[in-house]
Amino acid sequence: MKNRLEEMRTKNGWTQQELADRVEVSRQTIISLENGRYNPSILLAFRLARLFNLHIEDLFIYSEEEQYHA
Amino acid sequence: MRKSTHWIANRMRLGWITLLAGFLVVSLGIFMEVGFSSLPYNLRIVTGVGILLVGVGAGTLIRYRAALKDEQSLRRLTAEERDERTVMIRTRAGNRAYIVSAALVYTGLMWASFAANGSLPPLAGDGLWFFLAACVLVPFGVYVASVLIDQRSF
Repeated sequence: MKNRLEEMRTKNGWTQQELADRVEVSRQTIISLENGRYNPSILLAFRLARLFNLHIEDLFIYSEEEQYHA
Repeated sequence: MRKSTHWIANRMRLGWITLLAGFLVVSLGIFMEVGFSSLPYNLRIVTGVGILLVGVGAGTLIRYRAALKDEQSLRRLTAEERDERTVMIRTRAGNRAYIVSAALVYTGLMWASFAANGSLPPLAGDGLWFFLAACVLVPFGVYVASVLIDQRSF
């Protein structure tokens, strides 16, 4: 699943570690999320979206095609 | 008490229990070796298990004690240990290891069943030892390999 995590993190001037600390996950999880290798749980998605004052669907871009090709 | 501090305190308690249990088992092993040397068992196995417990307990205490020194280390360690991606990777690895473990034990069970009616040679001596060692080591290897592979995939 595509997302705007890196864009929003950079916009706020945070490092991956700082973002990880804010949502209480490991830095590796942030790296995997930004690379689109890992899809977060609904709770983590909410925490991230709220941190950036966005709706989940504005931060994580769901595409049905991607689901079928995955 | 903060949630993370409470969680670390629980881990520390577990570390102390493991350490104390280790010392008890080591003492028991040494006591039995000295006092009951005529027993037809290798009592160093008991001492060995005790040493393993002492090592695990001490390792746990060192790891979490260091984290308790400052708030940031504590928060990072808690986040890393409870991280949902890490938990998922460990769970997947555990599932795979369990399947392999169950398959190995089932193979042993079938072998014993066939051996009972003479269709297969009985598993005994070195063969039995190697089979049991495989039952322990292969699932562990699968677990470690699975964690390493999934860390790259996710």
